[in-house]
Amino acid sequence: MRISTKGRLATTTALATIGLIAGMIWWANQEVEDASGRRRQTTELTRGLTELRLVTFEYMLHRHERPRQQEREVTERLARLIDASPFSGAGQREVLDHLREHSAAAHRLFEELAATPGADGANTADAESTRRFEAQLSSRLLILQQESLADAFRLTDFSAERINAAQQRVVIVILAGLALIALTTGGAAWLINRKVLAPIKRLEEATREVAAGNWNYKLDLAGDDEIADMSRNFDAMTHSLRTSFAQIERSNQELAALNQEIEAFSYSVSHDLRGPLRSMDGFSLALLEDYGDKLDDEAKDSLQRIRAASQRMGRLIDELLGLSRVTRAELKLKPVNLSEIAREIADTLAQQQPPRAVQWQIEEGLMVHADKALLQIAMQNLLENAWKFTGKVDEPVIRVGATERDGKQEYFVADNGVGFDMVYADRLFGAFQRLHHESEFPGTGIGLAIVQRVIRRHEGTIRVEAKPGLGAAFFFQLREQSHG
Amino acid sequence: MGNTNNTNRVILLVEDNPDDATLTLRAFKRSHVANPIVVARDGIEALDFLFARGAHADRADAPLPTLVILDLKLPKLDGLGVLKALREDRRTRLLPVVILTSSKEEQDLIAGYSLGANSYVRKPVDFAEFVEAVKALGIYWLMMNQGPPDGSTS
Repeated sequence: MRISTKGRLATTTALATIGLIAGMIWWANQEVEDASGRRRQTTELTRGLTELRLVTFEYMLHRHERPRQQEREVTERLARLIDASPFSGAGQREVLDHLREHSAAAHRLFEELAATPGADGANTADAESTRRFEAQLSSRLLILQQESLADAFRLTDFSAERINAAQQRVVIVILAGLALIALTTGGAAWLINRKVLAPIKRLEEATREVAAGNWNYKLDLAGDDEIADMSRNFDAMTHSLRTSFAQIERSNQELAALNQEIEAFSYSVSHDLRGPLRSMDGFSLALLEDYGDKLDDEAKDSLQRIRAASQRMGRLIDELLGLSRVTRAELKLKPVNLSEIAREIADTLAQQQPPRAVQWQIEEGLMVHADKALLQIAMQNLLENAWKFTGKVDEPVIRVGATERDGKQEYFVADNGVGFDMVYADRLFGAFQRLHHESEFPGTGIGLAIVQRVIRRHEGTIRVEAKPGLGAAFFFQLREQSHG
Repeated sequence: MGNTNNTNRVILLVEDNPDDATLTLRAFKRSHVANPIVVARDGIEALDFLFARGAHADRADAPLPTLVILDLKLPKLDGLGVLKALREDRRTRLLPVVILTSSKEEQDLIAGYSLGANSYVRKPVDFAEFVEAVKALGIYWLMMNQGPPDGSTS
């Protein structure tokens, strides 16, 4: 059974019990009110009977017409009271019949007494017998009246009994109702503890286990209620977590294997690919040196071309290895002074080619969060490019600085060199892509690919703005350092 | 102990690629290095020569080479293995060893120096540069450098 169903059941039971108790109280109130009404009536009856007795005594003493009149009135009133009495039980009816009979009999006796001539007659014997008759009538009348009073008291007792019974019944019903409510509440508490709190405690333990990394933890709560549903969902969740994690683990292993292969490949390239080039260059030079006098200019030129090609191939291999190193290198992020790096590279370039007068404008204090070695490689390539492509302008200027773009810090390396048409901009960052002829500006075309890879490894972006004849500017953003 | 003594001492070149061996010998010749040069074609042969074993058993009393020029990628036993064996043997633990190889992979540099190489030189593709490098090596190791005393190596 669902917990919600059980809850509804418990609530309904409690409400029904409370309703029952309220009904019983109302009923008992009615009953008491009813019984009180009867008691009032029987009190009235008792009062009437007492009055009748007094009137009877008065008449017996004085034989006036007024008490006689009163007796008639009271008797009539009593008869009406008895007829209107709401008592309906068999015993009570019997008492009422009794009362009615006695009342009628008493009235008849009273009338008989009234019809008796006064004792003040001539005849003493007659007077004696009349007096005796009168006394007899009187005592019979008084006995009857006494009995009627007793009957009236019995009726009062009936009412009192009825009130007591009603009160008793109410007490029993209230006690039973309270017991039922206590039982329902206790049952609900037990149910909540067993079916809700205990499973929630287990669930809490399970979440703690899973949070600690134990994804094999199984709840396995049986049942068909909401908690059991939740337990099944929880188990399904840990299962899918487990599966995803295993998949990630597998992918990671594959990636690691792949990395290892690339590593081995690079190692092999590094060792073996340059050997044959050395032979080509070395033996060409040997030919030129040893047999130069026997070769014509064309043969010498051919040998020089072989040498140049070998050396170029050697440079290409080196730069490819550099590119692959940038990809494989482990990132060691820390605060790096970009201005300092730029300044050092600028100084080195100036030293290498002293005749060139380049105006360097390097903004001071540019701090970035980056891998210093990789950033150095990137800046080296960018500044060498700027240096190279300003080689044919009159007043070369190379600028390094920072601006803000879309709320993010953006660093730039800009020159006023030959520039290029932006149509080719998207080809710029591919390996071996060149926008100028090698005879014009030497290079392998890998530099910007390396720069882009360095920036990407820092989860940054790079873009270029250029115009033919006016220069080029490279802008790059690095991922903002995350605090905490 | 002077240059005259050094010029008689053998240089051991451990190189498996015959082209590279020829070119290195040519470079030495062009740099006017007078020392006899012995070429070992793999790591085992190099150790046999140095420890006077196998085919080189007759060298038992011969002095050690003045310099070992060691390639890293070699058949049977690679250059790092040779270097390790040299540094573990008390006779050769101070012998000057220059690694001359194609690669400048970080792992090779670290391993080479960790195992006790005295120098690490990369073979350039440009033969003119190669001759320059070999010349510099010859000047430094055969003329300028004061090697370890004989007693300490034997």
